[in-house]
Amino acid sequence: MMAAPGLVLSNISKRFAGVSALKGVELTAAPGEAMALLGANGAGKSTLMNILGGVIQRDEGVALLDGHPLDLASPRAARAQGIAFVHQELTMLPTLTVAENIMIDHLPTVGGLIDFKALKRRTQDLLTRLGCRFDADTRVGDLGPGDQQMIEVARALSRESRVVIFDEPTSSLTEPEKQRLFGVIQGLKSEGVIVIYITHFLDEVFATCDRVTVMRDGMLVSTGPVSAHTVASLAHEMLGEGSLAGDIPTAVPPADEVILSVAKLTRARVLSDVSFEVRSGEIVGLWGLLGSGRTELLRALVGLDPIDSGSIRLKSSGHLVTVTPSQLSRSTAFVTEDRRGEGIFPGQSVEQNLSLPTLRQLLNRFGLVDRSRERSLADDLIGRLGIKTSGRGQDIATLSGGNQQKIVFGRWLGSQPTVFLLDEPTRGLDVGAKTEILRLAVEIANGGGGVLLVASEPEELMRVCHRYLLMDRGRIVGELGRGATRDDLVARVSNRAVDEVLQ
Amino acid sequence: MTSASSSEIWSVKRLRSLIGQIGFPIMLLLLFIFFSAATPGFLSIANLAALAHALAPVAIIASGLAMVVMAGNLDISVGSIAFLSVSIGWSLLGLGLPVPLVALVIVVSGGVLGAVNAFIVVVLRINSLITTLGTMIAFRGLALELSGTNSHTLPDGVRELGNQAIGPIFVDSIIALLVVVAIHVLHQRTAYGRQLAAVGNSALIASKIGLPVGRVIFVAFVISGCLAGLGGIFATLQVGALTAFLGRGLEFNAVAVIVVGGISLFGGAGNVLSGILLGAVTFEMIRNGLNHLDANPYAYRPISGLLIFMAMYADSFRSRGHRRK
Ligand SMILES: Nc1ncnc2c1ncn2[C@@H]1O[C@H](COP(=O)(O)OP(=O)(O)OP(=O)(O)O)[C@@H](O)[C@H]1O
Ligand SMILES: [Mg+2]
Repeated sequence: MMAAPGLVLSNISKRFAGVSALKGVELTAAPGEAMALLGANGAGKSTLMNILGGVIQRDEGVALLDGHPLDLASPRAARAQGIAFVHQELTMLPTLTVAENIMIDHLPTVGGLIDFKALKRRTQDLLTRLGCRFDADTRVGDLGPGDQQMIEVARALSRESRVVIFDEPTSSLTEPEKQRLFGVIQGLKSEGVIVIYITHFLDEVFATCDRVTVMRDGMLVSTGPVSAHTVASLAHEMLGEGSLAGDIPTAVPPADEVILSVAKLTRARVLSDVSFEVRSGEIVGLWGLLGSGRTELLRALVGLDPIDSGSIRLKSSGHLVTVTPSQLSRSTAFVTEDRRGEGIFPGQSVEQNLSLPTLRQLLNRFGLVDRSRERSLADDLIGRLGIKTSGRGQDIATLSGGNQQKIVFGRWLGSQPTVFLLDEPTRGLDVGAKTEILRLAVEIANGGGGVLLVASEPEELMRVCHRYLLMDRGRIVGELGRGATRDDLVARVSNRAVDEVLQ
Repeated sequence: MTSASSSEIWSVKRLRSLIGQIGFPIMLLLLFIFFSAATPGFLSIANLAALAHALAPVAIIASGLAMVVMAGNLDISVGSIAFLSVSIGWSLLGLGLPVPLVALVIVVSGGVLGAVNAFIVVVLRINSLITTLGTMIAFRGLALELSGTNSHTLPDGVRELGNQAIGPIFVDSIIALLVVVAIHVLHQRTAYGRQLAAVGNSALIASKIGLPVGRVIFVAFVISGCLAGLGGIFATLQVGALTAFLGRGLEFNAVAVIVVGGISLFGGAGNVLSGILLGAVTFEMIRNGLNHLDANPYAYRPISGLLIFMAMYADSFRSRGHRRK
């Protein structure tokens, strides 16, 4: 009997500490085919792919490639059988170079020593293919998340593969980087490689994939050709009946009262003369390309990076008072773009991660944390944000990526600060959760708070913002009102990028 | 435009880390000039050769330990491994085995003891600090059992070996240099060495991307054990006797050398060649220089304590930097 060529995952089940993450999932893909794997946060997508990549072991089920059983006992075994994995959470080795990171499991050697010339040549080829402009000898720790994501992709492509898994590969990529990635995927398909593509950007599915498999709560919902779907039908299948979060209420016009005023904030070579104000009830979108200084601005505001000059004033009991960044950080909510590095405390429970900024309000009369109030706070937030967890005691590190992100945002809702500094707060969230976070941002504003919001997707800003600050090379280069279109935003920064190329 | 502006940002960072890296060498140089100027005996070929002689055992042991540290683990049993493996060698010497064979047995025993550590850490998954704290005590106990608490003077023929020199340079200094260079090449230029650094960055990530994490750590402990044995040989030869104090405190000296040499205790970062040489020379020079100054013999301890503290502080800064992005 001749088995059909391609990948077959059949009846895959997995339980974690008694909780089912996968319940008899099926997934098939033919050579040269790109299969989109969709599902809400915590649906089990990464778990299924971790099984295929040998990272975790299935409890039940069959995995075949071209009719032969796959040995998925370890990542090494999976890799040896041609399964390459672009992980959702980056797997970078910061003290090693780009070249070493990419080739670490098959470094070319002569006479026992690494052949650095060959290493460099081979990585440089890959980087060129991906259109990356950094050098193969750069230390990876010196690069930003977007570049690191490209290195993650380069590593997967560095060996001949039969199956390449992309688990949310575009969450930190710029538009041109995304386009190059899609080009690479087309190339893989024409070589007969099986591509499995996980994303929460549903439009990407239509740009890159042939078929789509949707999962919900660890189960298969549907599988079929992409052409049979629309963005709306996919969202519906992912989220199920009626759970498509309603529309975002319109943010009421902001008051005149300024609650945060920043003047001439400067940090050598990173930020220059940044001045702006945020009013009570206002959502200000900070728009700029990766590396424009938007993340650096937020980091400087809360004292994570030092500033050289400038002043910050914050509304406090009716007056604007000058504060230091570290004082500001104590009375604002800050959502970092680097969730894994700075946002979560792995090894701590969901509850502990949620109650962190609120601990002072949870003290009982002995000055100890009141556990029952801590618990009810955690349960309340878990419910409000729809965090998928087996219980508030679960280690946050074992939550799905999107659910970790909900906690990074949600922990601030308990302490109710007036200013929210949000750097990519919806990264990795499914369409429903994204809407929910934006809805909460509007709620915060309507309650009199001020929000400074960074997002890579102009559409996302446009759903909630009152106005936009445009950033480029560490400066605020312009401001647009509510009516601005996507093209207005994009044009303002991309013109400059074009200038740069022409120079 | 992204790459242009971000490369500027990073160059500031590089400058700062450069200062962090060359700060210690500059201090070392100043100390060297100070001792040379302040004492007549310090800057002489004989004294510098004696200095290089004295630091040889700890440099050898620290090189092996550096492998373990690079992998993000710690081995504080190296002093006891030195003692126990030399004690085993001592027993065999008593049975009349030829000296070269005894030396080989000592190094191999060190490797076997290292493998015991490795087994506990890798297979039983016990934290390496706890593991080697246990074996530090256990190995020392076994060694005392084997060689007794009295000191044993080495036979004349063997003791002479400790004074072999080529020109003014002692043989053990040369061997120490060879060992440091060999470990440096192993770390920097072999696939094993790079995987070691990868494991030191994060064992979890290393295993996720398919590296043989257990094997890499295992080998590091074995190398550390072998070099502890080798360092023990030279330490014994320098004393001219096998005493119950052999290797005592050596583990801490070796850790101190590593830390001052800029090899990160967080794992994955550092340069073996410059680090070990810098660290070993620093401590020995201070000890030697203070002797020449006729300083209070206890002055050495607080000064080296301060040095270690400063080095750790610098390390935590550097590591914070690379862990952030
Ligand atoms: N090691 C673990 N221990 C306990 N539960 C786990 C573990 N790993 C995953 N889970 C649970 O399994 C479920 C599925 O998680 P998974 O990471 O596969 O989701 P996902 O579909 O990738 O979501 P996202 O879109 O947010 O990345 C989650 O509820 C998660 O809490
Ligand atoms: Mg996931």
